[in-house]
Amino acid sequence: MKLAVISCIHGNYEALNAVLSDIDAHKADQIYCLGDLVGYGPHPNAVVEMVRSLDIPTCQGCWDEDIVEGLNACDCSYPSQLAEKRGHLAHEWTNRAIHPEVREYLACLPMTLRQDNLCFVHGSPNSQHEYLLPTMDGFAALERVLAAEADVLFCGHTHIPYLRELENGTLSVKVQHPGQSETHREFTAPLKRIVNAGSVGEPRHGRPNATYVLYDTDSAQTTLREVPYDYEKTCAAIIEQGLPPIFAWRLARGMEFAERAEDAGHVCER
Amino acid sequence: MANWAILSGIEGNLAAYEAVLADIRRQRQPVTDLYILGDLVGLRGDSEEVVRRVRSPQRGEPIPQVCTGWWEEQCFSLHGIRGLPDAPELVERYGIGAVKDLWEAVSRQTVQWLADLDFGFHELDCLLIHGSTVSYGDELTPETPPIQLCDRLIRADANTLFCGRSGLAFECWVEPGALRSTVTTLDQTAAPQDQEKSPRRVVGVGNVGRQGCQPSYVLYNPGTDQVSFKCVQSSPARGFGAARPKK
Repeated sequence: MKLAVISCIHGNYEALNAVLSDIDAHKADQIYCLGDLVGYGPHPNAVVEMVRSLDIPTCQGCWDEDIVEGLNACDCSYPSQLAEKRGHLAHEWTNRAIHPEVREYLACLPMTLRQDNLCFVHGSPNSQHEYLLPTMDGFAALERVLAAEADVLFCGHTHIPYLRELENGTLSVKVQHPGQSETHREFTAPLKRIVNAGSVGEPRHGRPNATYVLYDTDSAQTTLREVPYDYEKTCAAIIEQGLPPIFAWRLARGMEFAERAEDAGHVCER
Repeated sequence: MANWAILSGIEGNLAAYEAVLADIRRQRQPVTDLYILGDLVGLRGDSEEVVRRVRSPQRGEPIPQVCTGWWEEQCFSLHGIRGLPDAPELVERYGIGAVKDLWEAVSRQTVQWLADLDFGFHELDCLLIHGSTVSYGDELTPETPPIQLCDRLIRADANTLFCGRSGLAFECWVEPGALRSTVTTLDQTAAPQDQEKSPRRVVGVGNVGRQGCQPSYVLYNPGTDQVSFKCVQSSPARGFGAARPKK
């Protein structure tokens, strides 16, 4: 079975259309979406309507949650005051723009989706806000996959696609209780994978192309896809709609613009 | 030379706390720092008096450095200071009657003082905390899956994680054996990386005042990196109903 996994569309309808065409061309049997349908981009309603009309199983992203719950995350949400200010502007714009039924749909999205030994989340099994970066300590990454009780953990949120294979994980634990003899425990983990689906609508891998992944459940083959589209059209719409022009600037470059959290492992306490 | 005493879970048991303080005073190598990893208050005993005692160390006693624990968080929830309202965790674990008991056991004024306490302490290469950086309720024990212990140590960014949530006294060395990690991006497949293999440990500091337990705590010498577990002998006077010590 061939799966297509998309994430972080962020109201970019042009990019979504291009990715859906690419998925069609690759004859995927099933599409999963890892959330962040809205935010930053100019077409949140159209994106949600498209995802709903195709009946794509979708989990809730951090932006989807913020639109439903309001901005009540702790300071971790933004790495700088500048980024926070821009993020708030985008939040306010999206909050005004989305239709009531879209908000209701976003509110009902699950945190996690599953198919056999596969688990789908936005950030991590712990939180929509946690970044599973490819540079994260291997044992911490392994813990996230095991916590999801999966062999393959699909995530998004970082906007940069990657495949991480974790093999031959072993740990030993030596336990000492006062007044008792020492005991030992051994732990081994089979091959686990983390697949980050990148971002359809706001890529940050250094090029403007939309990204997503294809995954073959029989062979476990993972293909990171990069799809060109008319990003200038989205950039123009961002400016026309009065969203911060920096969003168009970075979309055209596939750049994060230094918006990298200092403590990517931090779990937001709400 | 530094010598830390680390304890948790007084839970309103003043007599047990006094017994531990007396034991601390008896140490040949003087205790230089006293850490209390939460749960000063509880349903039983005299939480108000315990807080008063902690805030007013006697002459020659180290000034306690206190962080919040599970019971303090229940107070915050009950008083609408933070977390979910109406203390659902408390109700789930101890029943609806516990709401009234805790409300009466800890005054609003005391709760406000507790709310200003730290969530934990990073000292040298140690993290001292009630649960873990994941949550105040994260209960680490020797039975916790090794990968979870390893994760909590990585998150703590510490070589030793002292915690009190479980109330157990233990020392758990976690040693990564091997892990090969290969990352493929759009542009390349990086060479496989092997993970760092330094052993780290989780230390359960026991508990001072839980009902039915003998008071226990931990001494830690940062100079030698040695942990020693202390168990304080019960006395007939010990217990929630015991007489208060002379001031």
